[in-house]
Amino acid sequence: MMPPALVPQSRVLTSPWRAMAIAALAISTVLPFVILLLQSFGESWRWPDVLPSGLTGSAWRAVAGGSLGRAAVNSAALGVATAVAAVCVALPVGRSLAQLQGAWRHVAAALVFLPVAAPPIALGAGLQIVTLWLGIASTSVGVWFSHTVPAIGYVSLLFLGVFTSRGTEAEEAARTLGASTWHTWTMVVIPSLRAPITEALAIAFLISWTQVALTLVVGGGALRTLPLEVLTLVRAGQDRPAAVGALLLIVPAIAALAALRLGARRTDALPT
Amino acid sequence: MIGCAHRRVLVRALRSVVLALGVTVFVACAGETSQQSAQLEVAALVALPWDSVEARARGTTVTWRKWRGDPAINAYVDGWLAPRLRSLYDITLEAVEGQGPEIVNQLVLEREAGRGRGTASLVWINGETFSNLRAESLLAGPWAGVLPNAAFVDSASPIISRDFEQDPSGFESPWGSVQFALIYDTVRTPKPPRSFDELSAWIRANPGRFTHDQGFSGITFLKMLMYARGGGVNAFANGFTEERYAAGQQVVFAWLDSTSSSFWRNGSTYPPDVAAMHRLFANAEIDFSMSNNQHDVVNKVRQGVLPPTARALVLRDGTIANSHYVGIPFNAPNPAGAMVVANLLLSPEAQFEKQKPSVWADGTVLNVRIVPEPWRARFANAEADPQAIPRDTLSRYAVPEVSPRYHERLNADWRDWARAATSSREP
Amino acid sequence: MLRRVPFPVLLAMLVATPVLFGVAYSALAVLGIAGAGASAVADSDRLFSVLTDRTTWRATGWSLYVAFSSTAIAATAAGAVALLFPTHKRSDRFARSLATLPLPVPHLVAAATALFVLSQSGLLARVLHALGLIDAPANMPALVYDAGGIALILALAWKELPFLAVVAIALRAGIARDLEDAARTLGASPRTVARTVTWPLLWRGLFPAVIATFVFAFGSFESAVLLAPIDPAALPVLTMERFADPLLARRGEAYGLALIALGVAAVAVAAHEVTRARWGSLVR
Repeated sequence: MMPPALVPQSRVLTSPWRAMAIAALAISTVLPFVILLLQSFGESWRWPDVLPSGLTGSAWRAVAGGSLGRAAVNSAALGVATAVAAVCVALPVGRSLAQLQGAWRHVAAALVFLPVAAPPIALGAGLQIVTLWLGIASTSVGVWFSHTVPAIGYVSLLFLGVFTSRGTEAEEAARTLGASTWHTWTMVVIPSLRAPITEALAIAFLISWTQVALTLVVGGGALRTLPLEVLTLVRAGQDRPAAVGALLLIVPAIAALAALRLGARRTDALPT
Repeated sequence: MIGCAHRRVLVRALRSVVLALGVTVFVACAGETSQQSAQLEVAALVALPWDSVEARARGTTVTWRKWRGDPAINAYVDGWLAPRLRSLYDITLEAVEGQGPEIVNQLVLEREAGRGRGTASLVWINGETFSNLRAESLLAGPWAGVLPNAAFVDSASPIISRDFEQDPSGFESPWGSVQFALIYDTVRTPKPPRSFDELSAWIRANPGRFTHDQGFSGITFLKMLMYARGGGVNAFANGFTEERYAAGQQVVFAWLDSTSSSFWRNGSTYPPDVAAMHRLFANAEIDFSMSNNQHDVVNKVRQGVLPPTARALVLRDGTIANSHYVGIPFNAPNPAGAMVVANLLLSPEAQFEKQKPSVWADGTVLNVRIVPEPWRARFANAEADPQAIPRDTLSRYAVPEVSPRYHERLNADWRDWARAATSSREP
Repeated sequence: MLRRVPFPVLLAMLVATPVLFGVAYSALAVLGIAGAGASAVADSDRLFSVLTDRTTWRATGWSLYVAFSSTAIAATAAGAVALLFPTHKRSDRFARSLATLPLPVPHLVAAATALFVLSQSGLLARVLHALGLIDAPANMPALVYDAGGIALILALAWKELPFLAVVAIALRAGIARDLEDAARTLGASPRTVARTVTWPLLWRGLFPAVIATFVFAFGSFESAVLLAPIDPAALPVLTMERFADPLLARRGEAYGLALIALGVAAVAVAAHEVTRARWGSLVR
């Protein structure tokens, strides 16, 4: 059921150009993964070798029970906890901001964007002060808190956009019909937002999953996350285990995103 | 109605901003609230018999803030020390990330936040970090002298008994010692230079094949150059003076001005850290790397980071040796546990394990002639790795550190020099 | 109850609280009354030396250049993907998947891979060597640790593309259809429609995401520390360098640099809010 008007659009460039564009995309996307895969098995892959001079599975075998395996579990748990918390907070925040008008709306949007935009050292100092006060500095809870703050900022902006374009007619109708606030949320607002909520969960998860600076500043490494392990390995020049860590960081996340997209395709959440 | 609501929002918003700022100012200004509890506890602990300290430490957790950048060191700490602490004392060791400057910043912030005990009970420090921590009164002590294993420390060695000329005064306990070495490849450079003069000639004859990193190792290299060309270590020993530093830095920058155009990339940039320099070396972009640990090369060859033909090299002009230590922060939540850990670090068993080339290859701080048997014999018969520099050679050319002020100033001035030098070279 | 109290701005401020604390703390630290080496009396020495040091402004300018270049490349590529591959045809879907696939790749991994591929002894140089085009790493043009920041720009652009592509594809699918139809009904050629209708609309819709990626690229420490030269320094790297300076008195300068970075981010956000206020009715 494609609108016929769209067909000529795809002919903005002729097909050899399209083929070249696809090839360029394929190379730029796939090549880094191939390199990481080779690196994760490669032995002494140095100048001038185009391919590794030997292959070994040692770095992969060390994953289970090793620091990379443990860190992957930590990161996954942290990412899920961050995503859930961020969405729970950001949904009402975003909805609330959408009701603002005029200059206040811009001020509020800018404020919410601050945790996303602030340089890690400024955000880190603030988060350290807050976590020290709360007594959760250098703990897993503190790390979770530090990830949740920028995630809330980002996801709030997302919900601000969603609620701005969508309006609150359905909710008002529900309330006019006598639904309580609780019922309005659980039976009208949240079900109708399944697609943006999925998207928000994915984004908040990724913010935590790839976070390095705040994990270090606030947690001091008390919670070893996967990006932290990869950072350590990269800084130590250990390319093979670093590549394994990098693939562990990327591949499950891509698979999870793909699954989300497949699930969301029915609801039109994420573009495919 | 809406205007009224907005005014209320404004008032609330302003109030919370003022509150936030006010609390921060309060924190900053009133941060000096009494957090002397760890200090008092340490003072009480040192008066106790050692088995009482151990009894207090039993069943506790010790958080140790340390550099976690080397997987070999991490494996020793997490895989050897931690299980022993657990089985011997039921102590849980948690080693967390944070090197020198970060440790200082973290402790300052913890003091400013002013909330009771801090987050780490033990910190891995030396040199300018120890100096900074002492200047800011961020360490508890003295306590190091009461550790039973402190009796075996090689206190006659100036490299162990003085940390960058500073007297540890019991505020830090030694853990290991290292000596700076250049790294070269026996295949690429069969006859490497053995002195700064030979190295200078080599650099000019082989332009683009030498550099040093921007970090601690690079500055240490320049400091050794300052010793070698500025009248030896004694010209800078016994404290910092502006005049001596001025003379020293002039020597360094004169050498750099005349030589750095033959460096890698014509001296327009420098590798950010040792790992980056090792990578350049392994890929034949440069012919020398360097490390603060003379045995690092053995480690890195085993890990596959460096080619198997890489070897360490000390220059006849002398290479800097220093020790690293552990301290207990002023707000340590568990000083007793920290002291027990520090004592285990000094045990002959732990020191012997740490010294093995297959583990970390970190030099011992013990006097191996006075440790009890069987450790005396084991240390005496310790197999030296064929790739490592013989111990006699190392000690013959070892030169001590000088006041941390030299490092601090040279670090700042070198950065200014590097940035001014590269931008003036632009077209 | 919640409906009657106009919470929104207060809520936003709550979300921003850690940053506000951080900003307040940074201000105190740069004035020398908080942080390592602080004293009881405020002075403007650190602030003065940050503001007068040309390294500061070289670093700010260079980081702006890097962030601008990488974001421009990524935004152009994202727009091209959305415009070239809009249909449900398999090849279009494939191209869109390729563009959005690396979304979860962290900066660190992108930069480390760029270092491995683009350095003078990297994979690209080795291929050229195998082809007999260069005979030593030194013959390879310097793309890493170079004042041009080529590898850094490419790594950031590569990292930013998937996110911008996701947004651009969503916009392309959702907004412009009726306007395009109208333009075509009025006789515009497909190329003209793309140039005068689709692309401007796409660009306006993409703008918030572009601002966000620009700010991320500007503040990215992990990429810059692996790929940037010592001079001009990248602002986040210079900030961390000062933050870890052995001279305690110099550490306060890090917070001055962080405030400059925050200022740049604030200007970007303000620009975004202003343009959205002006364009808003067209986009949504």
